[in-house]
Amino acid sequence: MERPFFRFETEEIAERNEAAVRLLRRRTIFAILLVMFFLMVIISRLWFLQISSGQHYTVEAERQRVRIHTVPPPRGHILDRYGREIVTNRPSFNVVMIKEDSYDIGEVLKRLSLVLDEDIENLWARIRTAERSARHIPVRLKEDIDWETLAYLENHKYKFPGIRIEVLPVRTFHYGDLAANSIGYIGSINRKQLESDEEGIYEGGDLIGKRGIEKLREKDLRGEKGKRSTEVNARGFEQRELKQVDPLPGKDIRLTIDAELQSTAEQFMNIGEKAGAIVALEVNSGRVLAAASTPSIHLEDFIGGISQANWDALLNNPKHPLINKVVQASYPPGSTYKIVTALAGLAEGAVDENTVIYCPGYYYFGNRVYRCWKHSGHGPVDIRKAITESCDVYFYQVGQRVGVDKLAEYARKFGLGKRTGIELEFEKSGLIPTREWKKKNRNEVWQEGETLSIAIGQGFNLLTPLQVALMTAATANGGKIYKPSIIESVTTPDGVVTERFKPQLIGQLSKKEQSYLEIIKEGLFDVVHGKRGTARNVRIEGLTIAGKTGTAQVVRVAQYKGMKEQDIPYKYRDHAWFTCYAPADNPEIAVTVLVEHGLHGGSGAGPIARMILAKYFEQHLKDLRQASEGS
Amino acid sequence: MFRFDRRHFDNFDWVLLILLLSISVIALFNLYSASYPPKPWGTPPYLKQAYFFLIGAGAILFILSFDYQELHFWNYFIYVGVLILLIAILIIGKTAGGAQRWINLGFFNLQPSELAKLTLVITLASYYSRKEVTDGYTLKQLMIPIILTAIPFLLILLQPDLGTALMLVFIAVSMTVFVKLRFSVYLILGGFGIGAIIFAWEKLLKPYQKQRVQTFLNPEKDPMGHGYQIMQSKIAVGSGGRFGKGYLEGTQGHLHFLPERHTDFAFSVWCEEWGFFGGVAFMALYFVTLIYALYASTFARDRFGMLLSFGVVMLIFWQAIINVMMVLGFLPVVGIPLPLVSYGGSSLLTTLAGLGILLNVRMRRFQGGMGPDHRS
Repeated sequence: MERPFFRFETEEIAERNEAAVRLLRRRTIFAILLVMFFLMVIISRLWFLQISSGQHYTVEAERQRVRIHTVPPPRGHILDRYGREIVTNRPSFNVVMIKEDSYDIGEVLKRLSLVLDEDIENLWARIRTAERSARHIPVRLKEDIDWETLAYLENHKYKFPGIRIEVLPVRTFHYGDLAANSIGYIGSINRKQLESDEEGIYEGGDLIGKRGIEKLREKDLRGEKGKRSTEVNARGFEQRELKQVDPLPGKDIRLTIDAELQSTAEQFMNIGEKAGAIVALEVNSGRVLAAASTPSIHLEDFIGGISQANWDALLNNPKHPLINKVVQASYPPGSTYKIVTALAGLAEGAVDENTVIYCPGYYYFGNRVYRCWKHSGHGPVDIRKAITESCDVYFYQVGQRVGVDKLAEYARKFGLGKRTGIELEFEKSGLIPTREWKKKNRNEVWQEGETLSIAIGQGFNLLTPLQVALMTAATANGGKIYKPSIIESVTTPDGVVTERFKPQLIGQLSKKEQSYLEIIKEGLFDVVHGKRGTARNVRIEGLTIAGKTGTAQVVRVAQYKGMKEQDIPYKYRDHAWFTCYAPADNPEIAVTVLVEHGLHGGSGAGPIARMILAKYFEQHLKDLRQASEGS
Repeated sequence: MFRFDRRHFDNFDWVLLILLLSISVIALFNLYSASYPPKPWGTPPYLKQAYFFLIGAGAILFILSFDYQELHFWNYFIYVGVLILLIAILIIGKTAGGAQRWINLGFFNLQPSELAKLTLVITLASYYSRKEVTDGYTLKQLMIPIILTAIPFLLILLQPDLGTALMLVFIAVSMTVFVKLRFSVYLILGGFGIGAIIFAWEKLLKPYQKQRVQTFLNPEKDPMGHGYQIMQSKIAVGSGGRFGKGYLEGTQGHLHFLPERHTDFAFSVWCEEWGFFGGVAFMALYFVTLIYALYASTFARDRFGMLLSFGVVMLIFWQAIINVMMVLGFLPVVGIPLPLVSYGGSSLLTTLAGLGILLNVRMRRFQGGMGPDHRS
């Protein structure tokens, strides 16, 4: 038997061993129970963590592992009716800094301030605003740098550790500020919009339509965001791309607007910085071919948020560039309203086409004198001449015979006094006064004399340029009121048309009324082509035009009476209207021009309408000219 | 001295060896994932650990070559040698200007505190087997083991390495309770222990150690500090779910959310990749091995053999419990490895040496003609 090398108390061991060993053997059982107990504890803990809370911790692990970037979708394009691009997107190159990749932020910023030509303090300020965000999140230092700067930064990357170029789509305007007030602009989503976003589509910093079509058609234009998930490690470094869902570009919107025509309209309005509006309607459909409001906003100013200085300038401009005067402003219609009065007079039998009224240049009613614009008088006047020469005396009497409520009834038949329903924001309904309206709103009894003013478009009545155009188009097409529309079609990026313009008849004159219209149209024709027409300067060789001038008094101030028109302060000058359609025998287009404080319809507004018609019939006129030269 | 007859081979505990080998293979397998992806330089941890397993196997063979009874004698030298190393480390640490826990041996860093754990097991086993008492030890009889424990305990505490120091207490207490005390002694030592804990909390613990405990008690208070490690470990284990994310597919470990993933939190990596079933299976294997070793120790031929076996099992058991409890968020972060599983040379060699002793006791269970299955 093997013996230990070193032994102690060998004698006793043998005797005591048995009892002592048995004691330990017994107690080992408790140790085994202890181990088993802990095994059970561990298993139940594993059950709790992995089975009961497994879902929770899985989500937690994913949350910290996966970083999701949203990829902004390219916004839909805005095109004109022929598919010409008005507003599309271009890449904007922004300089961003990833703090964690930049070992010496101060040095990098110093170099960058030279390259970007930006005060270093501004750059530091940007860094400071992002102080609390994680170090791997890019801080934007400068937006929309030019190609040269971009090329320099790309070629000298090594000098700018932590500096990256971020590419974001921004709006680009191929026709400058074409139809700017109708198209509108986009901007960073505000808190209110975020809170009302129940679908959870938007997040802070997203761009959203703020005005015009950009706002009204936000749902079509915005597209769907893409998502890029990347795996990050504990320090926030991106390890690999997990998956990418491409963004879905927004739908393209084709407007009914003809960019060339619109451009012409704006061009002539901007000569002399005229404030006003132009509407061109397709007579037989209600398509808006041009809708100009001048002066307009400058769309480029809104990219990346408009500066306070620019915004203040817009607010304080007396010509109100923020207002889309096509629908958001209403004016006394002046003599253009005589179309309504004439129809009411004929239809109600107050006059017929042969009725002659003598105009001495004034008309007594009650104890007041109502003057004709031509103080020497028009002499004997029938309805055609009354329209052609815009005789006030004739229409005073028609108005008096028909009465204010009947006048209003015919105005409403033309779709006036209510919103046309065009897709533009804040459309005004205008105002077609009645006895009841005055009682209700002013708590006053109607004065018969006021009817006379209404009859020549000079009283309480107010119309938007679009409403005047609507009335003109209805006259031209023989009494059909088409709802004006500015959207031609909406197309998905795949070319699927989801919406297409369809003419929508919202009102129609009766057969009898239509026949009266023909008489009125003869008068309107002579406004341009007649010997004594008020808009003879609008004539275009080879084109027949029918129209009506209008001059809307802004104030009736005695001190300006007899003054030379050019000496009257701008804001007290009359508004000039001209509304017309062409060709007179088979109308295609109706054009309405309003020049604020433009003095006379014929001279202030007529020439602009003429240029628009010339543009619209450009090809037709060219063909004519060639034909005559050839013969 | 080297005597190896056929009976030793017959009595060798193959079951225990196979259990231990299974654990070791799984541990290496896991370590590969825990240090994945491999760094482009240096020997990867799993390979280093494999080398240590080989060195440890050599150590086991050496330990098997002599009768464990001779440890009674050699332990004097081992004990004194470890104390010298512990003192040496304090001096090196002082001159190096900071805490140091290891001695650089070129191919690996030796941690004397790891050796101290096993030495304490042998020392106490030796004392309690020579001083046999069947009706409970008195306080006076416990003076020597208390002093033998206190010296390395204090030296390790001074490093400072609270975790390992407490480990010594766990080993000493479990072995001492195992040999049975007088009832009054339990009360006295219990009261003394509670007093010591209160005293330690008030006077001895360094602020960072206190913070660890406080963080553990209220992890939400400090989510980016120590609470972060516990939280990440819980996320790793929990996100493993039923079946785990798959081998090498654990995200918590590979993306560095999990701290110390190949050392203290290696089991966390396992649980993340193999899920509840993998975790339970491995823990069952681990603890069944310990239970088997305890059961087997009852067949030892004498009290020294039983105490040695018990001590070694407790040495592994307490480390395992504390480590796993920490990984599962039951205990604060203390630097205690999971024996055989966590990466670390000193710990592995100590554990393997302890297992060598265990196998030695098993192999020589029939010598001296004692034991329950004594063949006459």
